[in-house]
Amino acid sequence: MLRPLLALAATGAVLAATQAQAHHSAAMFDFRNTKTLSGTVKKVEVINPHTHMLVTITDDRGTRDWNFEGHSASNFYRAGYNRGAVQAGDPITITIAPMRDGSDGGYIVSFITKDGDRVNMASTSPTGR
Amino acid sequence: MRLTGLAMLAGMAMIAADAPLMAQDAMAGLPASRDFSGVWTTYRSSEGPPPGPRAAPAPLPLTEEGQRLREEYDALMGEGGDNAAAHCVVYGMPTMMASAGGYPIEFIHRPEQLTIIYEVESETRRVYMPGHGIPPEKRLPVRQGYSEGRWEGDTLVVTTTDMNDGFDQRSYPHSDQAVIVERFRKVPDETVGAILEYQMTMTDPVYYTAPVSLERRWMPLQDGYIMAYNCTEEAWLRLLEARRAQLQAGEPVTAKMSDVIDVYE
Repeated sequence: MLRPLLALAATGAVLAATQAQAHHSAAMFDFRNTKTLSGTVKKVEVINPHTHMLVTITDDRGTRDWNFEGHSASNFYRAGYNRGAVQAGDPITITIAPMRDGSDGGYIVSFITKDGDRVNMASTSPTGR
Repeated sequence: MRLTGLAMLAGMAMIAADAPLMAQDAMAGLPASRDFSGVWTTYRSSEGPPPGPRAAPAPLPLTEEGQRLREEYDALMGEGGDNAAAHCVVYGMPTMMASAGGYPIEFIHRPEQLTIIYEVESETRRVYMPGHGIPPEKRLPVRQGYSEGRWEGDTLVVTTTDMNDGFDQRSYPHSDQAVIVERFRKVPDETVGAILEYQMTMTDPVYYTAPVSLERRWMPLQDGYIMAYNCTEEAWLRLLEARRAQLQAGEPVTAKMSDVIDVYE
């Protein structure tokens, strides 16, 4: 349990990893090589224990829906998310820890809403500040 | 007959004498040094960097059976450590307290009872003070156990028993024979207002060859909130949605939770 946490700490994603670790296996996500994608939100569920976001993304392999997982609803709100800030149909720029096996999807690290608000899980402090 | 009457009278007099005292205690509440009420988070000094990952703990002093169960559990969870809360199940003791501060934890403190609520799963513990609580034969064996408190000066000493088997505690697994003793003390602090010092020792004759301990420090949560944490609601709503679809299609309403439970994955 502690080994992956220590490995993640080396990437500078300490808090993100700590919180991911709080609930969930982070082993399938590659926090060392985050990447930023742009797309259109198809569905969003900011719920516990884990948020889900379905985003339509076009890259050199074509257009498809990527299913992203993220922190708990609590941590989303602490990281700057406000109720209703992301809706189906919104354009979104999202930074994720991709799947280690290279498949579509990943763990949400941060994103920018259509109104320009940045929600950054990597800088979330459990104090709520 | 007469003696019984007198005894009853004496008993009633005692109850009558006790009642106003207890009411007074409850109304007076706790002195500040013994009142842990509030929402707390992990302590960090304003100057220093946030606490990094904790060093790997020394190997647990497990018995052969404890070691076997620990290894089996690790294998069940896989690399990276899946855990109960990821499936909307409360952590239980001692993992709830070992995790507290990662998410905020609330203390509601009355003279006769301390109620502790951890944000994750809204997990709740009740610490009963002497003269209050549940008789032993009525205590459910549960993940949180049953907790009794007493004061040693301004230190609250809490003994927790009646836990069910906690082989799936990701902090310190334990058997149903485990006993946890916790010590809570509130210390004034110039910078953050107060620090809640916490020390826990668990003894378990079945899975351990020696007691295990951990310490934590918490501070009041500033400019933040403890939030509701509803975790199983989504599955329920999906079940309703599936049944509504059947109803509207004129089909028998047969959808089961197992048809929609993938929400947890």
